[in-house]
Amino acid sequence: MKKVILILGGALLLLVLYKTVGSGLPEYNPERSYVDLETEILEAFILAKDSATIELPEGHFLFSQSLSMDDKKHITIKGKGMDKTVLSFKGQAKGAEGILITNCTNFTIEDLTIEDAAGDNLKISESKNVIIRNVRTAWTGTISTQNGAYGIYPVLTQNLLIEGCEAIGASDAGIYVGQSKNVVVRNNRAFYNVAGVESENSTDVEIYENDIYENTSGLLIFNLPKLTLYGKNVTAYNNRIYNNNIENFGVKGSIISGVPKGTGVIIMATQDVNFYNNTVEDHVTNNLSIVSYLVFAAEEEVEAIVSQDVQSRGIRAVETDYESDTAYNPYPGNVSIQNNVFKNKFWFPTLSNEYGWLMLFKNKATIPDVVYDGILPDGAALQDAEHKICIGDNGTFNFVFMDAAHDFDAFSNDVSPYTCILDL
Amino acid sequence: MTYQRILLCCIIFIGCLSCQDDANKRIVPKAKKITSAKPLIQHNNTEKETLSEYGFFKLPLANLEPTDGVVLYDLNSPLFSDYAFKKRFVYLPDSKKINYKNKGVMDFENGSVLIKNFYYPKDFRKPEQEKRIIETRLLIKEDDAWKPLNYIWNKEQTEATLNYVGKQELVYWIDNEGAERSVSYAVPNLNQCKNCHARGKNITPIGPTAAQWNKTYSLALSDKNQLDYFYEKGILEELIEPALRPKMPVWNDALLPLDPRAKAYLDANCAHCHNLEGSAKNSGLYLSYTQTDARKRGVFKPPIAAGKGSGDFIYDIVPGHPEESILIYRMKSNDPSIRMPEIGRSIAHTEGLNLLERYIEELAQNK
Repeated sequence: MKKVILILGGALLLLVLYKTVGSGLPEYNPERSYVDLETEILEAFILAKDSATIELPEGHFLFSQSLSMDDKKHITIKGKGMDKTVLSFKGQAKGAEGILITNCTNFTIEDLTIEDAAGDNLKISESKNVIIRNVRTAWTGTISTQNGAYGIYPVLTQNLLIEGCEAIGASDAGIYVGQSKNVVVRNNRAFYNVAGVESENSTDVEIYENDIYENTSGLLIFNLPKLTLYGKNVTAYNNRIYNNNIENFGVKGSIISGVPKGTGVIIMATQDVNFYNNTVEDHVTNNLSIVSYLVFAAEEEVEAIVSQDVQSRGIRAVETDYESDTAYNPYPGNVSIQNNVFKNKFWFPTLSNEYGWLMLFKNKATIPDVVYDGILPDGAALQDAEHKICIGDNGTFNFVFMDAAHDFDAFSNDVSPYTCILDL
Repeated sequence: MTYQRILLCCIIFIGCLSCQDDANKRIVPKAKKITSAKPLIQHNNTEKETLSEYGFFKLPLANLEPTDGVVLYDLNSPLFSDYAFKKRFVYLPDSKKINYKNKGVMDFENGSVLIKNFYYPKDFRKPEQEKRIIETRLLIKEDDAWKPLNYIWNKEQTEATLNYVGKQELVYWIDNEGAERSVSYAVPNLNQCKNCHARGKNITPIGPTAAQWNKTYSLALSDKNQLDYFYEKGILEELIEPALRPKMPVWNDALLPLDPRAKAYLDANCAHCHNLEGSAKNSGLYLSYTQTDARKRGVFKPPIAAGKGSGDFIYDIVPGHPEESILIYRMKSNDPSIRMPEIGRSIAHTEGLNLLERYIEELAQNK
């Protein structure tokens, strides 16, 4: 009898300890006092004629449904500042997005906060000449898998500027530019997301002067299979990417859930990437890695069956049969890493993922700054014209060539085969 | 023993603390209703504020008794809208006519208005007695384009007022079996009109086609055909001879074979989106009455963009197995992320489902 009590008591103590110490996920709890102006704001979205400006007053406005706008020109939606005008979709009954903009040209949204949508906070699809400025998107409370996937999510857009924005708490990516062309992402902040900033399948993208910290992974430059558009030519400079080490809270089966925590920058399956003048520091897995899609496809194979629920939320799942997509190139190429500062305050790799363990045994327990997986298609050679990786002067840094395709046989710290210059 | 219980409860309670935060995320906070000090956009409203201003109906308005120039019409197989009854009219300005089209929607002149009233009789067994009118939807033809507008009726049933943002309204009725029913009826917002009424980028009517109008006129004393009635009234022009006119079967006419009835039902309830130019064009499922390709009609067709809506079933229609057919699964579901049609329905249409289940069973026998 006493024994049972002791055991149960012990279990209780452990649970209390676990709840207080173990759950290290951050919280975002701004003070809110909601008012309901839903009808008027919804009416403004519906009735706005071309060239209209919707001026939203100060206040914390609660909505039970998405605000959508389709096929309009020269519309501006303007708040009184991201700390003053807050649009909250907490507990929304209808629609997945907070704000959904489709088929618009010359669209601007600025100076407001969008919070707690069931799905994406701000989705802009198939639109042209889009400006997203001084917009904060957030999910409140302790960060959670239940949070919506994307904070700021322009997809299939052309001529896009995202500046002065803040993205918090997305269960996929805070700022996510998908299948778009002519994109500038500058002066933004992203934290408490699984991925801070992600460029996916986008072309002619410039990412600069952003602060990306305390996410699971900082900056992702991805090219994924089976989509309508593929991206290339991504430039990233003057970004500060640091301390992205929080637990991955992505939905199981999504691509993003396979991203290890403590990864600063991941360049995956993308061509013509110029990464220079950035600071990347303090990541427990690695500061920067250049990898092929195969790294993800291989890893997730076992649990590749993704629930329909995940797919219907627009989250990208791992495509195991990416090979059937003949237009897709799963290998990185023409990647230049120059004049960056890599630092690490951590002195021991995380043992929470296989990369950490690999570095423990193969890399003298050093966390690498720049990693190249070295996976190539049949018939290709390292550093041939299609698969050139140039890693120039980046001060002192630890380089790792993984040779992931051959059981790490040729694992090496020798960066000399990669000291070249690319004209990008 | 009690200690044990208390401890157990404590453990369960603390264990639940983690789920609590996720549950909190779905709780709707309180919000006080306010109005804005100044209008959010410049909007010069030129639309009529009330339905009575149009003068479509004699007073009292709720009798829906048309004035001159307003003509009642009816369809062979209408769309199911949560069991709402519908009374449809067309308004034609002086000397304006409708041009007969054998295929597609009739040709209306500028100034024409299609008027559709949604209502619930208190007792479905006595549809002409006490009723509750919810909304009147207008499609107005101006400058060669159709413009949707919506008017919501007041409780007193004396007037309907212009509405852009939609509304939820709880309605009760007694069904044909004498059972009490209720539904939270959703009046759509103006953006949602496009969901069904879009052809490419334009708005278009759906109902007034030759096939849907080709039926006995409901008000005529004889068995006069609706098309002939309109022609004789002088509002329909270029009508062709009866033998050449298409006809949509009546979906619940028990004297007809299952196959055409099911196809008519699918045309009326699905084909406004599930056609080559509709909003479901990327689904590959095309359900117009005239579609003859079985695979395009869903037979052994895997879904393309169904996501969660597939219910883990493999094909839209499995002949002989309605219970494994995605089409039936989605018609049965009331979950907004699964159900079909996506809008305009929040409860299942038992009679329609019954028809389609039998149709899918019969598909196997035909093989």
